[in-house]
Amino acid sequence: MGSLAIKVENLKKEYITKDNTLQVIKGIDFELEKGEIAMLLGPSGSGKTTLLLMLGCILEPTSGRITLDGEIVYEDRWILKDTRKLRREKLGFIFQAHNLIPFLNVQDNVTLLPQLNGIAEVEYKKKAKEILTYLGIEDKTNYMIGSLSGGQSQRVAIARSLANDPRIILADEPTAALDKERAISVMELLRKLAKEQEVAMIVVTHDDRLLPYFDSVLKIDDGYLTKTKASETKLH
Amino acid sequence: MINLAIKDISHSLGKFIVTSIGVGMLLGIVLIMLGVYRGMIVDAKALLGSVNADLWVVQEDTMGPFAESSRLFEDVKYQIRNVEGVSEAAAMTFQTIQIPTSLKQERVTAIGYEIGKIGKPQNIISGRELVREHYEIVVDTKLGFKLDDKIPLGRNIYTVVGITKGAVSSSGEALVYISLKDAQQLQFLASNDTIRSDRARGIKDATSTTVNTIVAKVSSGYSPKDIAENIKKWKHKNVYTNDEQVEILTKNVIEKSSKQIGLFTIILIIVSSVIISLIIYTMTIGKIKEIAILKLIGMPNMEIVKMIVEQSLVLGFLAFIAGNIFANAIQGKFPKNIQLLPEDSMGLSLVVVLVSVIGSLFGIYKALKANPAQAIGE
Repeated sequence: MGSLAIKVENLKKEYITKDNTLQVIKGIDFELEKGEIAMLLGPSGSGKTTLLLMLGCILEPTSGRITLDGEIVYEDRWILKDTRKLRREKLGFIFQAHNLIPFLNVQDNVTLLPQLNGIAEVEYKKKAKEILTYLGIEDKTNYMIGSLSGGQSQRVAIARSLANDPRIILADEPTAALDKERAISVMELLRKLAKEQEVAMIVVTHDDRLLPYFDSVLKIDDGYLTKTKASETKLH
Repeated sequence: MINLAIKDISHSLGKFIVTSIGVGMLLGIVLIMLGVYRGMIVDAKALLGSVNADLWVVQEDTMGPFAESSRLFEDVKYQIRNVEGVSEAAAMTFQTIQIPTSLKQERVTAIGYEIGKIGKPQNIISGRELVREHYEIVVDTKLGFKLDDKIPLGRNIYTVVGITKGAVSSSGEALVYISLKDAQQLQFLASNDTIRSDRARGIKDATSTTVNTIVAKVSSGYSPKDIAENIKKWKHKNVYTNDEQVEILTKNVIEKSSKQIGLFTIILIIVSSVIISLIIYTMTIGKIKEIAILKLIGMPNMEIVKMIVEQSLVLGFLAFIAGNIFANAIQGKFPKNIQLLPEDSMGLSLVVVLVSVIGSLFGIYKALKANPAQAIGE
């Protein structure tokens, strides 16, 4: 249990409309180890984003249990009241469109969460410098987001997701807007981070070529999820 | 903690400043409206201040020369001078006339006073007061005359002997001073044709010994109010102390104007509030995705609310500064006296703070409703 980053048990999500009830997630179970990097696959509308939102404590499930970093956050209702605090302190998000804050420069984007978490200025600046150096964009520290290339912006987004020392990173098609070379470069980086910093990662992607960078594959279809080892998975 | 409001403003500084200037011009007009009202009060008091009388004796059952028509015989002044406690009394006339200036006919208030008595012009910046009984005139600098200029009034030509500054009536018209005798002729003496016509109809010659008011000074140790009561009782005249005359001018005469200006000011403040609300709302909507991202990564609502309120306050502050600059810049262009007072400016600053906070409420509501899921495309 101590090595588990994510544990999901019998998780369901229904959308109730006036005329009918739509079951998007029909009861899924899976676990993710610390440092494990999983690919989340599924056809459009299969519930990938819904699952990410529930794991990110943004969307309330209908029932089931979610345990994040050893803490039960949901069990048929939110157990954890301040889910935003959890996101601030333990989760990292990377999006398809980097979704950085355009009116902040690179350093401010990266240090926003540590500042909110009350980290001392000297410390968060040092940490930001380390991360930006690690990602090879330390020379962009004072650049505004609008002046960066797509690849650089995505690196800044990764830097932001790492700045609060998250235990879990949820990434929604982080390489979709990048060319093949940059996509591979980002995946190498994510894998390196997952292993070196023992961060569990769930990455939504449709790019089969990136399979070698994952430990496992979470395939979601018709509301059900299956987990397989990446090395044993064959994609079309 | 990083100040998100300032960072966002810096990012689109030009747009923000132009918006602030726009709102500022509106606030500037609010200040000008307040200045117009203040100017009316100052003008009203200026006239009374320049006469500097303790008592105003006017026709019975009237409110005096500034509120209603008042006619008295000039010799009433002798009765007033004999009242115990009155040290000095003089007759005065007030009338609106048209004066031909170099550009156009200018409407002015002509004051007729007894030379050497109460009511002489104050604030003479060049020349002198009247010394001859006829055909001399003291004008305000606003009219643009120079000393020794000739001005035709009625049947006669007057010579400018003195120039005052800031001598205006309650309606903001420049004051001119002429001798009582000239003023009486100007006001009451009809033309020869009119006299002949009136005689043919059996009308007796109109007297030119009528005045509009008798002003008086009270000896020290006497109460103007008590003397006023005494004159009212025995002389069958209405008498106002200077304070009462001020009240008549400021409350009765300019009350409607001030209400009108007050209403305009309130409307402008409401319009400013709506505009500030719309700007803040639009600014918030413009970055709703960023707000969703901030919520998604865990930013507390309080920080988001703080950002919006701070932006609103900065907008209000810049608009307030711009408004003051604008109002001061255009103040002199108005034909009437505009008094921009620091206390009005301070009052407006408090209103701006209130309006800015209220104006940010719609934006805050929208921001708090923003779904963090929007950041991931749901």
